[in-house]
Amino acid sequence: MNISAHKAAREAGAELHPRHRWNLTSRSARARVVNWLFKYYFLFSILALCLVLAMVIFFIGKTAMLTFQEVTLAEFFFSFDWTPEEGRFGAALFIVNTLSLTVLTLIIAVPLSLGMAILIAEIAPAWLKKFVSPLLDLLVGIPSIVYGYLGLTVLLPLLRELSGEGLGDGLLAAALVLTVMILPTISRISEDAISAVPRKYRDASYALGATRLQTTFKVVLPAAGRGIVAAIILGMTRAIGETMAVVMVIGNTPQLAKSLFAPTSVLTSNIVMQISNVDFDSTWNYSLHLMAFLLLLISFVLILIIRIIGRKGGA
Amino acid sequence: MKWLKKLSLAAIASAFLLSATLTGSAGAKDELKGKITVNGSTALLPLTLQAAKEFQKLHPKVKIAASGKGSVTGPQAVKKGIADIGACDWDASEDVPGFKKFEGQVANKVAVIPFATIVNKSVKVDNLTTEQLKGIYSGKITNWKDVGGDDKDIVVITRSFGSGTRVNYQAKALGGGDIVKKEKNYKEVGSSGDMKTAVATTPNSIGYIDLTYISGDDIKAVKHNGVEATVENVISGKYKIWSYGYYMTKGQPTGETKAFIEYVQSKKFQEGSLKKLKFIPISAMK
Repeated sequence: MNISAHKAAREAGAELHPRHRWNLTSRSARARVVNWLFKYYFLFSILALCLVLAMVIFFIGKTAMLTFQEVTLAEFFFSFDWTPEEGRFGAALFIVNTLSLTVLTLIIAVPLSLGMAILIAEIAPAWLKKFVSPLLDLLVGIPSIVYGYLGLTVLLPLLRELSGEGLGDGLLAAALVLTVMILPTISRISEDAISAVPRKYRDASYALGATRLQTTFKVVLPAAGRGIVAAIILGMTRAIGETMAVVMVIGNTPQLAKSLFAPTSVLTSNIVMQISNVDFDSTWNYSLHLMAFLLLLISFVLILIIRIIGRKGGA
Repeated sequence: MKWLKKLSLAAIASAFLLSATLTGSAGAKDELKGKITVNGSTALLPLTLQAAKEFQKLHPKVKIAASGKGSVTGPQAVKKGIADIGACDWDASEDVPGFKKFEGQVANKVAVIPFATIVNKSVKVDNLTTEQLKGIYSGKITNWKDVGGDDKDIVVITRSFGSGTRVNYQAKALGGGDIVKKEKNYKEVGSSGDMKTAVATTPNSIGYIDLTYISGDDIKAVKHNGVEATVENVISGKYKIWSYGYYMTKGQPTGETKAFIEYVQSKKFQEGSLKKLKFIPISAMK
């Protein structure tokens, strides 16, 4: 309700019976109070969220910085030797492994899930749509430990068979498990973005004589670009932070992944394997916090990068 | 899958007990009440869960929450005040290789834990010497044919640093030898349950675990220097890979914590449930 409407209501009220007028003013007063409350409630919510986030960053960062009392910046970021029980804290291998795992996962997951999104939004008949969409929603809700266990008991023996390796643990196994986990996220959100592209774009494209393939890739996908980028961001942040499923299939050996089947370790899996086994006041503990802090920064930077790309491509 | 079943059974059991405690079903008059938190070794966890179940039947007003993660977690949780009892596979009031002693903590012996080398059922070998194990875990021996098995690569599975099983295994089965293998057939797991699953599902794998967890036919225990890993051989002194399990407390235990530890140390529990779980009574060792 804008000011002139208030004014009009008040003027109208003046003409009415006192009882009615009282009613009306109380109504507008109530509206004003409710508006005020809502405004500050939402403001408070945002502030609370910011506070929690700031505290997470501050406390992890504070503990993390204690690492540098004993370890040099260069050693932590550029050394590939992680032997904390002997005082060598080189985290470079975890950083590289985390990035490779994320990239590998996206390489497998993005084409697959985009294909699924296009199928559901553009091609599939109504009955198939009704079947696939709820199925994908269901997949999102499955806890990651279940995926990890399936990876351990179903995927790993399969990979051993295919590769002839003794163990099968490694980047590929982790990437495949992560792919299954983020596939529904990316495809459901992309599908929403694709479905939101106005019908007239497609009609115009068809009217110009374009095929369905041309229409989909030259018109619909670019128009839905931002939504798709958002979907990939969400999928990627889940992939980079996922721990429980990864820890079960990656092998947990602190070494650089030189092949897809070498047991290795990423930031998340190393933190969860070691954090409960180390002394609270030790460089080891601090450096694990530093790795957590780093994880925070990496996902933050990746999100920024993709946002910038998205802004250029999607507009 | 067995450990999953065990886990869910334990969860259901503790949930049931908790509700029984809340409604106060048992009528016995009892002044003991309070909450005991036990944290630490996964090797001792089956024992703690069983003892908690029985103790809560006797003292319905006492609630016991037990969880396992790794031995060193136990004394650490006690130090931080998170837990009343820290289950640990070594005497954490003394220095051991890799770990400093925890000042002011008292180690209460509660059981003897035998450990065994386990292999996947695909492995033909059934005896390994200390030297062979040393070779395998240090990465010098990488093929089963070198220790009398098939021509297959050995997959080594080990617990992460901080595990009591690992500390004891390294000291007693490997004769203090290192576990320093960072190649393609080397994997670390976080708990005894994970170890069992990993060895059971990985062909040609070798690992180590406490005797309690060995059941079913997907893993088998191998002899050490020709001696089978059995309770009798531990008691008679033939089988060397064992250690005391300790409940670490901040100072001498008091109140309900003391009562619980005394219950675990009591003859009734030591000779009964503890034996059934394939632990060995502390009184059996000379």
